[in-house]
Amino acid sequence: MVALAEAPAAPPVADRLSRARRMHLALWALLALAATASLASGATGVSLGALFAGMTGAELSGVERVVLYDIRLPRLVLGALVGASLAVSGAVMQGLFRNPLADPALVGVSAGAGLGAITAIVLGAGVSWLAFTGIYTVPFAAFIGGWASTMILYRVSTRRGRTSVATMLLAGIALGALAGAASGVLVYIADDAQLRDLTFWGLGSLAGATWAKVAAAGPIIVAALLAAPFLARGLNGLALGEAAAHHMGIPVQTVKNAAILSVAAATGAAVAVSGGIGFVGIVVPHLLRLATGPDHRMLLPNAALLGASLLVLADVISRTVIAPAELPIGIVTAILGAPVFLWILLRRRGMIDL
Amino acid sequence: MSLRAEGLRVRLGAAEVLHAVDFSADPGEVTAIVGPNGSGKTTLMRALTGELPHDGRVWLNGRDTAALRGWEMAALRAVLPQSTPLAFPFSVVEVVRMGQMSGLSAADPTLAARALSAVDLAGYENRFFQELSGGEQQRAQLARVLVQVWEPLGPDGPRWLLLDEPVASLDIGHQLGVMALVRDYARRGGGVVAVMHDLNLTAIGADKAVMMAQGQVLAAGPVPEVLTDAVLGEAYGCPLRVNAAPADGAVFVLPHSVGKVA
Ligand SMILES: Nc1ncnc2c1ncn2[C@@H]1O[C@H](COP(=O)(O)OP(=O)(O)OP(=O)(O)O)[C@@H](O)[C@H]1O
Ligand SMILES: [Mg+2]
Repeated sequence: MVALAEAPAAPPVADRLSRARRMHLALWALLALAATASLASGATGVSLGALFAGMTGAELSGVERVVLYDIRLPRLVLGALVGASLAVSGAVMQGLFRNPLADPALVGVSAGAGLGAITAIVLGAGVSWLAFTGIYTVPFAAFIGGWASTMILYRVSTRRGRTSVATMLLAGIALGALAGAASGVLVYIADDAQLRDLTFWGLGSLAGATWAKVAAAGPIIVAALLAAPFLARGLNGLALGEAAAHHMGIPVQTVKNAAILSVAAATGAAVAVSGGIGFVGIVVPHLLRLATGPDHRMLLPNAALLGASLLVLADVISRTVIAPAELPIGIVTAILGAPVFLWILLRRRGMIDL
Repeated sequence: MSLRAEGLRVRLGAAEVLHAVDFSADPGEVTAIVGPNGSGKTTLMRALTGELPHDGRVWLNGRDTAALRGWEMAALRAVLPQSTPLAFPFSVVEVVRMGQMSGLSAADPTLAARALSAVDLAGYENRFFQELSGGEQQRAQLARVLVQVWEPLGPDGPRWLLLDEPVASLDIGHQLGVMALVRDYARRGGGVVAVMHDLNLTAIGADKAVMMAQGQVLAAGPVPEVLTDAVLGEAYGCPLRVNAAPADGAVFVLPHSVGKVA
């Protein structure tokens, strides 16, 4: 009898869509908070007061102006863009593979994108046609690398519209190792100028954020983010398998191609400016699915906001815990994200269906 | 205004699985596709729905399906696959609404609940689909399929339900309930094509039957003409005898020994 009395009530999934809409508003507020924290913290002292003064148009000292507008603001914008693109490409990829473990960083897509970026930097100088792409060369090459790895991964791990988790993860390990090894070889043969370029692009942190990088990666990321909502209904249908999606009139092949392109573009651009930052793409969509359900119509925009907020906050942590030095942001997201990931595995072993 | 196919050939892997199959079904009737395991019932269904590439042509309400767009097809016919995986923890009502979104009754806010009570799942709206039993999942999927073509007769002709083993994992009460549901759909002007294994349910629930064997149509027509001792013996390779129940002349099939057909 006690057991009956204490039996959990029916899961409160009633009208999760409207709860997701309220969550959307809350996440904008969270992003605003994170942005304020990010602008107000750092090695040099620009106080909160100075920050508000700057916003209201009052005079700032020269140093404050440089710190705020040329260091912290581009870093904030880049962090938000990268966080949003990591979380959304994670969610899109999970929808495409019908699997909550698919994540660009985990299954080698980020490594492929990194290889693309490094190839462009080390070998690209000799290729004249690449020049037309200008500042976009490195993000574009990363996009190609990410696209190729996503295609290979999908081909290897999906048969007749079903994705094998084990194959996907193993293929991802192989792809990641291969791309990592090739990247290592390229770094080894790079000359001094190229090494400087490699450091400039960062490939591992947000430390070198500049307006130039925002300009190079921003448009690609924004385009991929704007395309994501159009995938939502298709990804919902794909959750029932490719056949059922087809019967419901969803253009399955188009949705798949568009999803692969958007994952590759968002991951490629994010990797080009910040390297492979792990766990955002897997933890953010998962938490949102727990809170407001798996419907992609709200999952994708909410993932963008939560991903952006979390990465900006992780960046604040990376700049403050060992100030004046900086912890690479990848370490912060791993310390925060990996335990959450393990907890997901523990709780949801059945659902993930290995 | 019917569902018609001519010369359907399907290759799967190296082998040809359907050999020049002709098929037709009329609205207002339930057409059962029967036959032994591996005889090509699912393959025929998947060719009819345009899911598999095939030779031959399929006409739905007089229109060549090769020329119809995906969303146009979705407004004309809904399909229940033999099994449907679900990737994420959607609730039952969320799954049903996915079907509703792709049909013509997308705006009706009460439709999902009505469809769920039609399949005897009233009150299951907010349960997680993955936590339902096998038979409950199958009925929830049937509700998703129903809401996609909820009105059996549209302005431009009948709507179609194509169901691959809709009663396979249901108990006898729900089997009869689902058969009554699809019969009612046909009575109101829609067309129903269902792959069936239970010959007795076919006998009482279907108007026409198509007997498949080894990728070909062995017999097709009104149920009493297809379910005969000779056809069944040839199709299933075991002795089966068809009898008529005294009540209303419907036939029933009684397995008659476990030996091979004489
Ligand atoms: N993907 C495939 N590749 C190769 N052969 C296949 C494939 N799918 C089915 N077949 C073969 O095609 C034949 C027909 O299969 P189909 O699924 O249509 O049978 P069925 O009549 O629906 O059987 P059941 O009653 O078991 O559902 C079988 O011999 C099967 O082995
Ligand atoms: Mg079958």
